[in-house]
Amino acid sequence: MSFDYLLSILKPMLEGAQATIILFIVAIIVSIPLGFLLTLAVRSSIKPLAWLANTYIYVMRGTPLLLQLLFIVFGLPLIPVIGEYLVIDRFVAACLGFILNYAAYFAEIFRGGLLAIDKGQYEASKVLGLSRWHTMRHIVLPQMFRIALPAVANESVTLVKDTALLYAVAVPELLHFAQTAVNRDFTIVPFLLAGIIYLLITLCLTLFFKWLERRLRFD
Amino acid sequence: MSILEVENLKKSFGSLEVLKQISFDVNKNDVIAVIGPSGSGKSTMLRSLVQLEEIDGGSISVNGEYMVKGGAYSKPQQVKQIISKMGMVFQHFNLFPHLTVRENLELAPKLLKQGTVAENRALSMELLEKVGLSDKADVLPAKLSGGQKQRVAIARALMRKPDILLFDEPTSALDPELTGEVLRVMKDLAKEHMTMIVVTHEMEFAKDVASKVIFMDNGEIIESGNPRDVLTTPKMERTKTFLHRTLSR
Repeated sequence: MSFDYLLSILKPMLEGAQATIILFIVAIIVSIPLGFLLTLAVRSSIKPLAWLANTYIYVMRGTPLLLQLLFIVFGLPLIPVIGEYLVIDRFVAACLGFILNYAAYFAEIFRGGLLAIDKGQYEASKVLGLSRWHTMRHIVLPQMFRIALPAVANESVTLVKDTALLYAVAVPELLHFAQTAVNRDFTIVPFLLAGIIYLLITLCLTLFFKWLERRLRFD
Repeated sequence: MSILEVENLKKSFGSLEVLKQISFDVNKNDVIAVIGPSGSGKSTMLRSLVQLEEIDGGSISVNGEYMVKGGAYSKPQQVKQIISKMGMVFQHFNLFPHLTVRENLELAPKLLKQGTVAENRALSMELLEKVGLSDKADVLPAKLSGGQKQRVAIARALMRKPDILLFDEPTSALDPELTGEVLRVMKDLAKEHMTMIVVTHEMEFAKDVASKVIFMDNGEIIESGNPRDVLTTPKMERTKTFLHRTLSR
């Protein structure tokens, strides 16, 4: 096993890792706020809205992410009449699938965070004259986010690993390049390398969240 | 001159009547101690004054302005305006745990755009000094003892310069050795003629500091008046029983 060989497969795999990382970043940046909006919708006093949000969360959490991805990438274009307008770039379609799915999970995590906030916090805010928006923005959100942080960290690590599902919708990413190299060169090394790259990404992520948890700690 | 008037306050939780026609007046500079067994409705009564509980009937007015009249609430803006004249101190402090002591004090005035940053800073430091915690300004509440937390909560309530300060069992969640420091701050406020309504189990405080005692039981005011009269020579049987039980504990 030469060093040159390692370098030669590392280059395409790192390019594949780029897709992995871009998907991760896009998915996390969009699905966290979207998840929070869903949480608010679930708790809304407008009943149809709450019902819709609950149903959405139930469907997204109750079906496999792989099915959802296949549905968006390969299924939507098959719909009669409008299907031809639903052919989008596979990577974009996959991003959409991840965002829609993870928003549902984040919504559940944030709901838990909201439930953990003492009602005394709302009462104190009210008597101090804070509006509902101020209470949400300055009292509830910071505490909710801090309480939810360990669960958000956990979900983020899962997201990194779930990006490997891109393989199933034929978007070239880290695992795809590893698999290609294994088939071509008949060696297990690319799989090991892929594993190491995933581990490095999740390690960075874990360290980042640990740092954030320490920084935001208030108990 | 009466600053707060409560008339025929009624409140039910389902079929349970917690407040049955409560009426009383508070004059400027009064320190009113509200005593009574748990479940007597004292906390509900206090909380209804700042609309933490919606009442079902009766009237509440502050400085002659009605917050509720005959069970009908005024416009939200006016209700808010009236509540802003009152400060509240809770049994469990309800400090904001993610903000420092100073931020806890300055948040509301800052968001409500009351006073300049410099004025609020000066006021918060003055109030922390008053409750003896100026050295804790930049500390998070988790680093404070219960007594210190409650003193911060009092300072926070004072930031809005309330006309009336409400206390909902301010020492009930504290270890016995920590109640003294909180009661001392409340005593100082009484000396400075702050108008206060204090729901409490501290009979000594009621006797020494209050200008008027209200004894509640089962959603009604059974007896009220001068602390010495109510606490030492009560007229009503229920007051006697309660005091006997409390003092012989």
